[in-house]
Amino acid sequence: METRREALKIIGAVGVTCSFPFSANELYGQHVHQPESQQTPKDESPAPAELRFFTEAQYQLVSRITDLIIPPTDTPGAVGAGVPKYIDRVVSGDSRLQGIFKKGLRRVQSESKSQFGNDFLRLTETQQVDLLHSFSAAADRRTASKRAKTHPTGTFFEAIKNLTADGYYTSRVGLLQELGYNGNTALASFPEFTIPEH
Amino acid sequence: MVNPVFDVCVVGSGAGGGTLGAHLAQKGLQVAVVEGGPPVNTHTDFNTHALPFEYANRSIPTMKRGKPGFDSERTRGVGGKTMLWNAVALRFSHRDLKGYSIDGAGADWPIDYPDLAPYYDRIESEIGVCGNRDELEDLPDGIFLPPPPLKIGDLLLQRGARELDIPIIHTRKATLTRATRTRPACHYCGNCMAGCDVAAKYNSLDAHMAPALKTGCLTILPNSIVREVVISNENRVTGVRFLHRVTHEEGEVQARCVAVACACVQSVGLLLMSRSRLYPHGLANSSGQLGRHYIPHFNNGVEGFLTERIGAPVVNDEGFIDHAYLPSFMHARKRDYARSFGMQIYTGIRRTTGWPRQVPGFGIEYKQAVKNRFPAYVSFQGFGEMLPNKQSYIELDRSKKDNYGLPRVKVKAVQEENERKIYEELNRTAIAVLQKAGGEVLSISDFHQPIFNHQLGGCRMGNDARTSVVDAFCQTHDVPNLYVVDGSVFPSASEKNPTLTIMALAARTADHIAERFRRREI
Repeated sequence: METRREALKIIGAVGVTCSFPFSANELYGQHVHQPESQQTPKDESPAPAELRFFTEAQYQLVSRITDLIIPPTDTPGAVGAGVPKYIDRVVSGDSRLQGIFKKGLRRVQSESKSQFGNDFLRLTETQQVDLLHSFSAAADRRTASKRAKTHPTGTFFEAIKNLTADGYYTSRVGLLQELGYNGNTALASFPEFTIPEH
Repeated sequence: MVNPVFDVCVVGSGAGGGTLGAHLAQKGLQVAVVEGGPPVNTHTDFNTHALPFEYANRSIPTMKRGKPGFDSERTRGVGGKTMLWNAVALRFSHRDLKGYSIDGAGADWPIDYPDLAPYYDRIESEIGVCGNRDELEDLPDGIFLPPPPLKIGDLLLQRGARELDIPIIHTRKATLTRATRTRPACHYCGNCMAGCDVAAKYNSLDAHMAPALKTGCLTILPNSIVREVVISNENRVTGVRFLHRVTHEEGEVQARCVAVACACVQSVGLLLMSRSRLYPHGLANSSGQLGRHYIPHFNNGVEGFLTERIGAPVVNDEGFIDHAYLPSFMHARKRDYARSFGMQIYTGIRRTTGWPRQVPGFGIEYKQAVKNRFPAYVSFQGFGEMLPNKQSYIELDRSKKDNYGLPRVKVKAVQEENERKIYEELNRTAIAVLQKAGGEVLSISDFHQPIFNHQLGGCRMGNDARTSVVDAFCQTHDVPNLYVVDGSVFPSASEKNPTLTIMALAARTADHIAERFRRREI
């Protein structure tokens, strides 16, 4: 759909009001465009009513990883913001992501067993974080240099982190409570700001 | 009942068509504005104030539930892209219009700044443009409402840029900062491009066509997808044929004069679809130039964070999106490429944040890093001027039909060496300004993943009928009562956002058409 593509290219462009040309393009799993009627508004309940793609076991694993990426602090973390359900929805509509998640989740379990002799969900938090660190470092290297060779764990971690970040910071919890977004209101005038002169 | 014969049929209702139709109606001509999309009410139909979490896929739909529109290039809606534009309104300068004479590349416009200046004046007076008088050679000042203050981030970048002798100014937008008799002032909600629900931001329906409806001379025909401009054997266009957007029924509008204004690419497509005995390769295409010289803007992007703003309290500084602009300044410097660039500068908070993806790491530190950077985020979106080349053009893909059985319009844009040099200069400039302002770079866009914006070219304006499609008044060289009035006529693109110039051209063409009616030439 050309209109939306154009819109996204403009910074701050249309529809989705993101204001820059690159990350906006890939934000929100844009390829999945469900008609509005199929959407449930305010879809943030932490309990999975019905999974679209993941098995129950995969969903538990995804949930734990997202909560390690954005943990609860003085504000709720990814699970508290309903991120796993958002990820299930996006992945269910994207065959490329389905492959990455299936393979990646299997790999998390196999690494977990070979390094710590146990299921990922049964590891201590320190062990879980240790394991994710190797995945995350590969992902960050890949992000830093787009030409770097694709590392399989990097690809999976990149995918789950991207979707966690998207889902969390567009949720009510993430946008309003955590970031403290206070815009989208009518102001009588725009405030005058000053900075010290050098 | 006999169908009326209009004086002028305008195809398209955006910046070009809406302005032209309104101006002609105000002069007493009987005008039909034919729009492929549905009627759109900017006050009620757009999801202006929605937040992403109201939608399960976090993507805010353009239209409210049950409201049609903006689902394809052929069926946007009354008002066209002006409903969703960002409203940056810049005047072209002598350099933009005479680029070939100055640096030997591309093509000159057949008109110069003094030809356009009175029409810029008129449009700015009609629609309201805010800005600061900066007295820049490359960006002429206009008739301005006061601009909104710069944001904190803008001021920090401006201070950094000053050390590099690079200008950062108030952007200029067709958004009211003071109320008029009919439209209120901007309320700085930050959602301009989701459709302004009070029409403080210019759109062609509320600011141009609605007042013109009161003359009784303007008829807007929505839901009418024009598939052909009809031409007689005497080489005069006689009207248009259309399909109804919903029922697909055939319809016809008869007129003494036709102006095509379908936002560049679709205008070229419509002319290419209008094949006849006289014009077997497309209407007004005896030169074979139709669709050539496609010169959209290309964009770069640099994102980062201002150190001074990391961890600062969040203030509501969404404003009307971007308040600052980095205008073309390279003409005065030594460089190894033709033409120039400008940049829109985005600072302040936004309701959609895509950048946390790129912040490294995970866990509590990551969460804190994102939170701290929320008020510190900046992005530069550069616009470079593309030179015409043989690989960039607009054509019909007759093998692919849309829902209406009409061939799809295909565009091809290829960046060459001059574009690469400008692109690299854009990235270098943005990074240098950000670093001087005390900031960290988050991401830098890649020339090999091109992003284009602002469709321009394809019906080049020129004095020579062998190398151009329309003359200096947007009248086609081939057909005396056929006009093209949109970005497709631009012989060179400048780096400046094109809409104000499209409106000025429409106002100038309206004067020209009305004068020809008065002289009974049409």
